[in-house]
Amino acid sequence: MPLKRPPAQWPWQALLAVILLSLAAGIWLATKQVNYEWRWERVPQYFFYQHEEVQSAPVVGAVQKVSPEGAYSKVEIAPQSGGQPVVVRVETDTLKVRAGDAVAEGADIGAERHWKIGPLTRGLWVTIWISFLSGFFGLLIGLVTGLCRLSPNPTLRGLAVLYIELIRGTPLLVQIFIFYFFIGTVLNLDRIVAGVGALALFVGAYTAEIIRAGIQSIAKGQSEAARSLGMTSTETMLHIVLPQALKRVLPPLAGQFISLIKDSSLVSVIAITDLTKSGREIITSSFATFEIWFTVALLYLAVTSLLSQLLFWLERRFARSD
Amino acid sequence: MIEVKNLVKVFEGRGKPVRAVDNVSTQVNKGEVVVIIGPSGSGKSTFLRCLNGLEAYDDGQVIIDGVDLGGSKTNINMVRREVGMVFQHFNLFPHKTVLENVTLAQRVVRKRKAAEADAKAMALLTKVGIAEKAHEYPSRLSGGQQQRVAIARALAMDPKVMLFDEPTSALDPEMVGEVLDVMQQLAREGMTMAVVTHEMGFAREVAHRVMFMDVGKVLEDAPPAAFFTAPKDPRAQTFLKQVL
Repeated sequence: MPLKRPPAQWPWQALLAVILLSLAAGIWLATKQVNYEWRWERVPQYFFYQHEEVQSAPVVGAVQKVSPEGAYSKVEIAPQSGGQPVVVRVETDTLKVRAGDAVAEGADIGAERHWKIGPLTRGLWVTIWISFLSGFFGLLIGLVTGLCRLSPNPTLRGLAVLYIELIRGTPLLVQIFIFYFFIGTVLNLDRIVAGVGALALFVGAYTAEIIRAGIQSIAKGQSEAARSLGMTSTETMLHIVLPQALKRVLPPLAGQFISLIKDSSLVSVIAITDLTKSGREIITSSFATFEIWFTVALLYLAVTSLLSQLLFWLERRFARSD
Repeated sequence: MIEVKNLVKVFEGRGKPVRAVDNVSTQVNKGEVVVIIGPSGSGKSTFLRCLNGLEAYDDGQVIIDGVDLGGSKTNINMVRREVGMVFQHFNLFPHKTVLENVTLAQRVVRKRKAAEADAKAMALLTKVGIAEKAHEYPSRLSGGQQQRVAIARALAMDPKVMLFDEPTSALDPEMVGEVLDVMQQLAREGMTMAVVTHEMGFAREVAHRVMFMDVGKVLEDAPPAAFFTAPKDPRAQTFLKQVL
């Protein structure tokens, strides 16, 4: 008999299934308890919806001809004042006139439908690009601060430490308020600039510490080898230490940027209509509180898992030289 | 080629300061191979690292090809490109291929064109017998192969002097030979070399001079024939008895 026998997996998998099912049942029972009426059908319209644009007669006249063309109908109106007939296109099922009808200027003839982007999609987009911008600037700030933190120059080092401690020692929400109400007022900043700025400064401080740790984790022999070949300290940092350090800190950096996407929901307090604020606004009109918050949570989850997949892929690509 | 005058290096530890290099004066002429031996902690590696300024010395003078390392107008990076160094732990750049390891400094420091650097690198990799691994990453190579790449990397800068800091100490025994062969070939070609090593065979066959160091001092400096048959210093005698 082999010394090591793998323990049976299925009882534990079964237990997991039981736990998940009872959780689902619990949620269902709980909503029954509060008499909540689920209205999931109300959610999709907040992603995309069809906007009906009323088409009115541009002139006073008579409808000369209505010719259906697929879903559309072409309505030709002969102006009372004479001249060429005017053509108006409307959806056939919204058509309100027939050939021979007299129409006044501005009369409702029918409507044209357009697909429009709903507030949830718009909010999601705002969240994505705010996170992307502040992540990009945060990385730059973090890189510079991380290098300053390791600089032999006491001024640079002191400034870096002060910045990192200030940011890490105060709540992000307070930083956003200070940035918006104080710095934003003094420098007359747009709310978006203030929001992105606050997030970038926040993530920059954490990134700086990650990058510092990464640089310090590279064996001293690496920079000694580079210096012994005559490279300057800048060249050594650029070609030898930083590429290795960045590769090594990719997993904690990924975690930081995933956090950033979630933290970006806090900019909704300075009236930036991101995903969270969109959700809050929709609830005031739809009353589908549970559905919208669940949807918003799922959207955040989708973005963060997409990013973590992307970084996982990047990590594997960089692992070629290991 | 190398001139050392009253070199002192002190390590300020938590206890009392240690004089790792204690008032050493010597010189290495062009084309000469000097092997530095001694027990561990004798300061021989520290001494070698002072020769290209990797270790900042506290007193004395190191003059490489007429340039004082500590001179107020000396650019240390200009001196280092003339002094190749090979490390105990190879220190190849793991994120670069073998070829890139050998071309990087040529392009960054010597400002050579890519084609010129590649040609030079391939010639050197052929010389150390490892051209077929040019596009591998260092982690795929054995210790002996990595050390030969490290030698090629240093040679690519066309150094006037080569420093070897225990180049075979981290190798499995069966790989020591291939590295020593490359070093021996370099010596035959007339390269000026300073070698810290425990390979007594290499010292005996290749060295022009053997320096024995202990507690930061050079206790004996003699041709290998004289040193290995009749060492004068008592500590050198004990050391040789232990290692041979």
